[in-house]
Amino acid sequence: MGTSHFDRLVFGRRTRGIARTGSSWALLAAATLALAAGSMVRAAIPAQGWRIDEEKTAIGFKIEAVGFPTTRGRFTRYSGRILLDLDHPAKSFTSFTVDSDSVELGSKAFDDFVKSAALLNVTRFPTLSFTSTQVEKLDPHTARVTGNLTMLGVTKPVALTVNVETEPSGKRRVIAFSATATVKRSDYGMIFGIPLIDDALEITVKTRALSDE
Amino acid sequence: MSERTISECPASDRAWPRALRLLHWASAVLVISALGLGAYMVQVVEDPAERFDLTQTHKTIGVVIFALTFVRLCLRVLTTAPRHAHASRLLAAKAMHAGLYALLLLLPASGWLMATTTPVRVPTVVLGLFTLPYPLAPDLATYRVAHAVHVTAAISLALLVLLHSAAALAHALVGRGHHRRDAARVRPALRPAPE
Repeated sequence: MGTSHFDRLVFGRRTRGIARTGSSWALLAAATLALAAGSMVRAAIPAQGWRIDEEKTAIGFKIEAVGFPTTRGRFTRYSGRILLDLDHPAKSFTSFTVDSDSVELGSKAFDDFVKSAALLNVTRFPTLSFTSTQVEKLDPHTARVTGNLTMLGVTKPVALTVNVETEPSGKRRVIAFSATATVKRSDYGMIFGIPLIDDALEITVKTRALSDE
Repeated sequence: MSERTISECPASDRAWPRALRLLHWASAVLVISALGLGAYMVQVVEDPAERFDLTQTHKTIGVVIFALTFVRLCLRVLTTAPRHAHASRLLAAKAMHAGLYALLLLLPASGWLMATTTPVRVPTVVLGLFTLPYPLAPDLATYRVAHAVHVTAAISLALLVLLHSAAALAHALVGRGHHRRDAARVRPALRPAPE
């Protein structure tokens, strides 16, 4: 997509079956070249596209409770973007927004209860979102992404640990991201069930990008 | 009191009234379901969504049992129990029934107390018709006590149900000769005085 000097990845899914959004993807070396040349990134590099593997993209959470099985849920409607600079990781950026109404825990009654005012309060707070403010590369496969998480209308800083794996998979290149963070939900005003339900809420975001070949 | 064979005893002497019998069997089915569900959902189920759904079903059954037991007790108070000649067995039966009635009230009551005082407060919708009121505020200490009472009472009820079923079965299979045998015992008042 033209003039950006970042590798840009846009992902999102409204409902199942709708065509995934995608974007063109410029290689790093070519990106630096593009800075010098000013434009025409596509002409400078061999044509190569990337796409998000939506089957492997998941935004979910996990919470423990006393005398109750570990509860896992996921959100099926979300959108987001990753701007990735593998040479200068600190310049990378990510943000994603989730439809709180799209939560799924395995049964309608359970979903409805979690969506109610006791927990997610979806009628009042239709989205949850995260926007990164800082990216720090810890080692070749790990980065720490600090940013602001907004939940129930409250915004607090959160640090996500992101695992980055690049896999040559035959002719295809694959980059897999797996990010986790544990937040105290009481910080966001979600105090229901404490102490029988843990204050600690583990959030996981996984996604994968595949090169076209 | 005259001597009568079993066929000459009026029906009310031999059996409980039909309404009570119907309510008894309806209650028995519900109680065994609630006990089974309670044990299963806590000890076996690993899926949180299934556990959530089963808990709602369990609570609804409990409320129905409570209402049913209340109706049964009202009818029971107004009913003459069938004749039973063996005083000791009669006492055992009365104790058993009293225990069962008590637990059938205590279990739903303690369950309701759990539902209202738990920090994890989930509305209880009974048969899709109404929501159970929760007049008490959540309180972890009270919840823990209510939970202990509920579980202990459940185990006690399970044991009593087994005993009660065994006794009822034994009575049905073995005790049929009561009336015929006991009819003979009634006679002493009519016997001529010993010399």
